[in-house]
Amino acid sequence: MGRWARLVLPRTYMDRQRRAGFLFVLPAVAYFTAVYFVPLVESLVGSFYRTLPGGASRFVGLRLYELVFTDSAFWNSVWNTVKLLALSVPATVVLALAVALGLDRLTLRWRSLWAAMYFVPFAVSLVAAALIWQWIYDPVYGVLNHALSLVGLRPQQWLQSLDEVLPSLALVNVWARLGFDTMIFLAALQAIPREYDEAAEIDGATARQRLRHVTLPLLNPHILMVCILELIFNFKIFDQVYATTQGGPAGASQTIIPLLYDTAFKYFRLGEASVMAVFVFAVLLAVTLVQWRIFRKPVEY
Amino acid sequence: MPLQLSPDRWSNAENYREVFRRERFARFLVNSALLATVSATSSLVVSALAGYGFAKFRFPGRDVLFFAIVGILMVPFQSVVVPLYLWVNRLGLLDTYLGILAPDLVSVFGVFLMRQAIEAVPDDYLAAARIEGCNEWAVFWRVVVPAVAPALATLAIIKFMWTWNEFFWPLVVVNSPAMKTVTLGLIGFTNMYFIEYNLVTAAAVLSVLPILIIFLVLQKWVVQAAVMTGLKG
Repeated sequence: MGRWARLVLPRTYMDRQRRAGFLFVLPAVAYFTAVYFVPLVESLVGSFYRTLPGGASRFVGLRLYELVFTDSAFWNSVWNTVKLLALSVPATVVLALAVALGLDRLTLRWRSLWAAMYFVPFAVSLVAAALIWQWIYDPVYGVLNHALSLVGLRPQQWLQSLDEVLPSLALVNVWARLGFDTMIFLAALQAIPREYDEAAEIDGATARQRLRHVTLPLLNPHILMVCILELIFNFKIFDQVYATTQGGPAGASQTIIPLLYDTAFKYFRLGEASVMAVFVFAVLLAVTLVQWRIFRKPVEY
Repeated sequence: MPLQLSPDRWSNAENYREVFRRERFARFLVNSALLATVSATSSLVVSALAGYGFAKFRFPGRDVLFFAIVGILMVPFQSVVVPLYLWVNRLGLLDTYLGILAPDLVSVFGVFLMRQAIEAVPDDYLAAARIEGCNEWAVFWRVVVPAVAPALATLAIIKFMWTWNEFFWPLVVVNSPAMKTVTLGLIGFTNMYFIEYNLVTAAAVLSVLPILIIFLVLQKWVVQAAVMTGLKG
């Protein structure tokens, strides 16, 4: 191919420019190929091989998929992940929307105060945050049970309870993501021209009607985007679980990524871990494709 | 037992001293600072180069390569972690700085950010420099880099913070206490049966402190960083 040859041996000024451009992007392209593209293919291939004791591996077709997809521990982790999503995604989005709508009416000073608060979860590692939350949740020494006792309620087991562990982790996620999502909504709200709201007001629409029929429809794409971002964030939960419950008690908070980690690096079943890796990739790919489908139609104000 | 929120004495630093006595926490802080600095630096260089290439040149395959790189955003890191671990193992890099850094040297976000920023640099500036006799390398360093300094500062802060807070990958590759990062050090104070909250919270505060200092010193850039990541997702 002539044009490729001319990248190596440029003849004209334009050839040299093309080569320069190619060389500028080369380090990044090489790096991402080595760290993402090659390992991704290897994950796919690896999910068809079983590693034997001694290091050799053997092609086993879909056997490992069968093994993983009939394993109750796998479905338990998928189910827990779904429950976590159901608990934290709607809560985060609704809360962030409410806060953003409130802040939109406030002065700049209050908005920057919120921005400062938003930095806290943005800067603190999820590990440090989760450990502090574990303290808050502690059945004996925790602030939360102390607060319950002050209003005469019985203490709860929180992270150590089969029923409360997922809601407790969901609350940590809401805390971690609220500021971020609020910022997205706030930016979107401020991009909406005031005239729409004013026009509806002049036409006699109540505040509630304006919110429902003017503001929220205009925010629709942002709400969807935040939902998908939260879906991905919660789906990939690892740090918080590993630092606090390690999937316990009795597997009640074992989600998909911690299970993948245990499978690969605790039990060294690399083939099965690769199957889970492919599963995680497929799910997130599907989510992203749906997102593209929906976002193709731009919103015009 | 009555719960007390304020400390007995504000000058009581015993927990902090115990954190350093119990674990090699100073070493962890140094490790994390070193790793985060290197990853921020390498990220700046490679992203700025690629950003310039993607924004200001035409060459065969440019758009395909750019979309392939942006496409990585939908590949969860956990989907590539097993092969990556095997590679690091094969190359003898387990439990080394280079091994911990391997997946953190460049981020897709950086390439994307720098391409956006460099696209906004007027072509006339570049043309003027070329007429003055600059080659592309000189145009890059003397015109492009100064013009996108704010975006570079933003990227450096974000990348430093991301690497500082990284947990999953160090957990996979680090074995020895000497190579632990701060996040790994933190979970050293917990175990399933008993948690010394006084030490955990002291260590958590220590882990956040450097980031907090960066915030205070570079406040202006941090606000920009937060807004950018907030908008870009």
